[in-house]
Amino acid sequence: MNDRMIYVHIPFCDSKCYYCNFCSFVSNDIVKKKYFEKLIKEIEHNSNKTVKISSIYIGGGTPSCVDEKFIGEILQQIKKSFILKSNAEITIELNPCSTNIKKLKYYKEIGINRVSFGIQSLNNKSLKLIGRKHNSKQAKMAIKIAKKCGFDNISVDVLIGIPKQSFLKLKTTIKKLIKLNVKHLSCYMLINEPNTKLTKMINQKKISVPSEDKCVIFYNKLFKYLKSKKIFRYEISNFCKKGYECIHNIGYWTLKEYYGFGVGAHSFISNQRYSNTENIFDYINCDYNCEKENLSDREKIEEFIMLGLRTKYGINILDLKKMGFDITKEKKDDISFLINNKFITQKDDVIKICENKYGVANQIILKLLP
Amino acid sequence: MDDRQSKIRNFCIIAHIDHGKSTLADRLIEMTGTVSKREMSEQLLDSMDIERERGITIKLTPTRMFYNYNGDEYILNLIDTPGHVDFSYEVSRSLAACEGAILIVDASQGVEAQTIANTYLALDNNLEILPVLNKIDLPSANIEKCKKEIEDIIGLDAQNCPCVSAKDGINIDDVLKQIIEKIPCPKGDENKSLKALIFDSYYDNFKGAICFVRLFDGTVKIGDKIKMMKTEKSYEVTEVGVFCPAMRQTEVLKSGDVGYICASIKNLADTKVGDTITSALNPTSEPLPGYKEVQPVVFSGIFPVDGAKYGDLKDALEKLKLNDASLVFMPETSTALGFGFRCGFLGLLHMEIITERLEREFDLDIITTAPSVSYHVYKTNGEMLEVSNPSMLPPISEIEKIEEPMIKLNVYTPPQYVGAIMNLCQDKRGVFEDMQYLEKTRVVMKYQMPLAEMIYDFFDSLKSRTKGYASLDYEIFGFKQSELVKLDIMLNGETCDALSLITHKDKAYARGRQIAEKLKKVIPRQLFEVPIQACIGGKIIARETVSAMRKDVLAKCYGGDISRKRKLLEKQKAGKKRMRQFGSVELPSEAFISILKTDDDE
Repeated sequence: MNDRMIYVHIPFCDSKCYYCNFCSFVSNDIVKKKYFEKLIKEIEHNSNKTVKISSIYIGGGTPSCVDEKFIGEILQQIKKSFILKSNAEITIELNPCSTNIKKLKYYKEIGINRVSFGIQSLNNKSLKLIGRKHNSKQAKMAIKIAKKCGFDNISVDVLIGIPKQSFLKLKTTIKKLIKLNVKHLSCYMLINEPNTKLTKMINQKKISVPSEDKCVIFYNKLFKYLKSKKIFRYEISNFCKKGYECIHNIGYWTLKEYYGFGVGAHSFISNQRYSNTENIFDYINCDYNCEKENLSDREKIEEFIMLGLRTKYGINILDLKKMGFDITKEKKDDISFLINNKFITQKDDVIKICENKYGVANQIILKLLP
Repeated sequence: MDDRQSKIRNFCIIAHIDHGKSTLADRLIEMTGTVSKREMSEQLLDSMDIERERGITIKLTPTRMFYNYNGDEYILNLIDTPGHVDFSYEVSRSLAACEGAILIVDASQGVEAQTIANTYLALDNNLEILPVLNKIDLPSANIEKCKKEIEDIIGLDAQNCPCVSAKDGINIDDVLKQIIEKIPCPKGDENKSLKALIFDSYYDNFKGAICFVRLFDGTVKIGDKIKMMKTEKSYEVTEVGVFCPAMRQTEVLKSGDVGYICASIKNLADTKVGDTITSALNPTSEPLPGYKEVQPVVFSGIFPVDGAKYGDLKDALEKLKLNDASLVFMPETSTALGFGFRCGFLGLLHMEIITERLEREFDLDIITTAPSVSYHVYKTNGEMLEVSNPSMLPPISEIEKIEEPMIKLNVYTPPQYVGAIMNLCQDKRGVFEDMQYLEKTRVVMKYQMPLAEMIYDFFDSLKSRTKGYASLDYEIFGFKQSELVKLDIMLNGETCDALSLITHKDKAYARGRQIAEKLKKVIPRQLFEVPIQACIGGKIIARETVSAMRKDVLAKCYGGDISRKRKLLEKQKAGKKRMRQFGSVELPSEAFISILKTDDDE
């Protein structure tokens, strides 16, 4: 049996950020209590003592906004239900506002060894405009506390394309974070999803965000800047110091099997993709599994190409051939067009997207899909 | 006059768009019990989806109704009419099949442009016109004002006209009564030799081409030998019948009747609308007046979006042709669009309807190129070519002269729009010939104009400049030499043949610029910069650039929701499939359509 990974979704937040369309709720303690009871049940229900778990990712929502004891119970249950490898990577997502020394110490005690802070920006004006409750000072403080509590593997999320952003401001944020010696950065481009508060404000012209073209310029500059600071890109949105790649993320991109527990969570087990209901009350009161999708060979190839090309590792032609897709033959013209115009490189048997062309990754991927 | 015919009334309904033509027709059918309420679907007579959605009538659907009046049973034959200038010939034929017309006027809106135009058409065909005020249920209805308008503007006596609400079924009886009282009965002679007018025809897979006819003289029954007077082809009748409104077989059709004739006719083109059917053994000497050969005047290339669907497109066109004899098509090849067909249409609406039917009824994704007319190109070697596809135009050095089809155009309008129409016609290279006051409120303006200008966007411009009050008719009268050039569009340095068009020298610059600007708007950004150039004979007259795409990336965290990521990508991929690859440029099908509509935005 191969190793599997576990994702646990904690859908609660103290407040909803203006850009968020994730599965998250601002709820009371009773709902939280019931939710965790069900979550424990779901994990228990999937128990398999032959399965080794190589990584756990506790994400949200904001896992740090709930009583830390709940987190402990979950890890406890996972250890009961599966074989947790001793070197497993265990990550928790945190918000600067809801973290304190007590919580972080507790997390450390129960075996969590990687923390990921939703920093987004260290510019107070921008933070306010996107509805984040923390300020720059609290953010820096939270990271410092985490280090004091013994966390070395610290990751931060940073947003590109938020209101009032310029590259200079973005760079200032990044500079400060590097100074704090964070090991890993996830840099996401803000997507204005329909029905979020921010999108409404943009549509009403109450607020403006950098254009898409500008975001890509920021992104490409950011890539160069980080590289000069020895922080390397290993996936479109993920950058880290050598040796600090997120095992859990890499698992997703290499089509590793994983369980997803909690409301709206997704699993990938024996070629089936499962998704749980996104309605928290359905999750608590009814059956959580709502959709099951068998991954066809073709879809598997599509995912392999899509995910592989997003990483610095690229896609291996021979691996694809084994899956039944002879890309060099089927996509001969597209590949030579992309190589000639310096969108991709092909070295040995590996195709990768050129460093400065990640901004149009989708277009490139589309050309290479079966 | 015989008693039988005195109990028949043949009539049509004419109206301005949206004044409730189809709704009134439905009510009449319902009131006379022709179709039970249960079977009624909204707008019964407009049976095609497109007709219902657009609220227009394309194919004619006659209906036979029975109505009891003063103890006698009457047969009322309603012949529906299409309402667009492209089909004006069909309209005139179906009007010719009637003795009277109901003229509907919306009581809340009064007499409108189309009301007048249709009235004149009906008067031209010597029909008795019966005005009806509809929508009296609306709070804004003003019956007295409308009656006065009908009397003042049209000159019909409206004092006793029925005031109805077709929607609510109010006073429908009045309409039926007046049809019988006011519309004359047919006055044919059933003992004379057969004389039947074909006012429509359609193709049935089992019965062959079916003629919708109005009998003026004589009778017809199964086994009779009939002859089409125009095509001179003879057939044996296999079935005759009437419309209830579904076709129902009867034993015989007699003078005055409206019905259908089947005679194992293999080809719809042999049942030409306007032709006269007579007896093969005892033919009449005189055909009914007004027959015209209908010829396509607008040409356009139709291509499948997915090149592999060429065969499907061919099948679909052949099937449509069975039902629409005026559609012509022949194979065509384009470097940009691959294999397809050059199709000929009666007009722009006809073209739109055909393309829409191809997409809906046959589920095809198609690309239509800019409409063109058929030019006479005289080469220096004395040869003459007919060119309806701009990319087939020979090199300039080989052309002696080009002649384009000309039309005689009549525009009917209230006098206050004369100035606006003159400007428009001048813009469109029209040559003013004459202007006459038909009466105080109506003028006819006569122009000579190139057909190519007419098909471009003339109709829309005319309507918008005259608030819809002007109407027009035209006929092609010949060819005239003109300074014409081919305008090519280059994408990324390569000429895209499907975007070429033939235009007048003086207009080429403006159109070239417009098209380049329009294409810039519809061509999505690609991985590289795409120059768009408009040129005449190698000389570039306009240039725009679609800058390279910078951002198309999912740089958002979707956790383990990889399905979602894949689905987003698949959606994008499906969108791409609708694109045409031209060299390395991806063109959306809108690019080919957009050049038709360059004037819209201004």
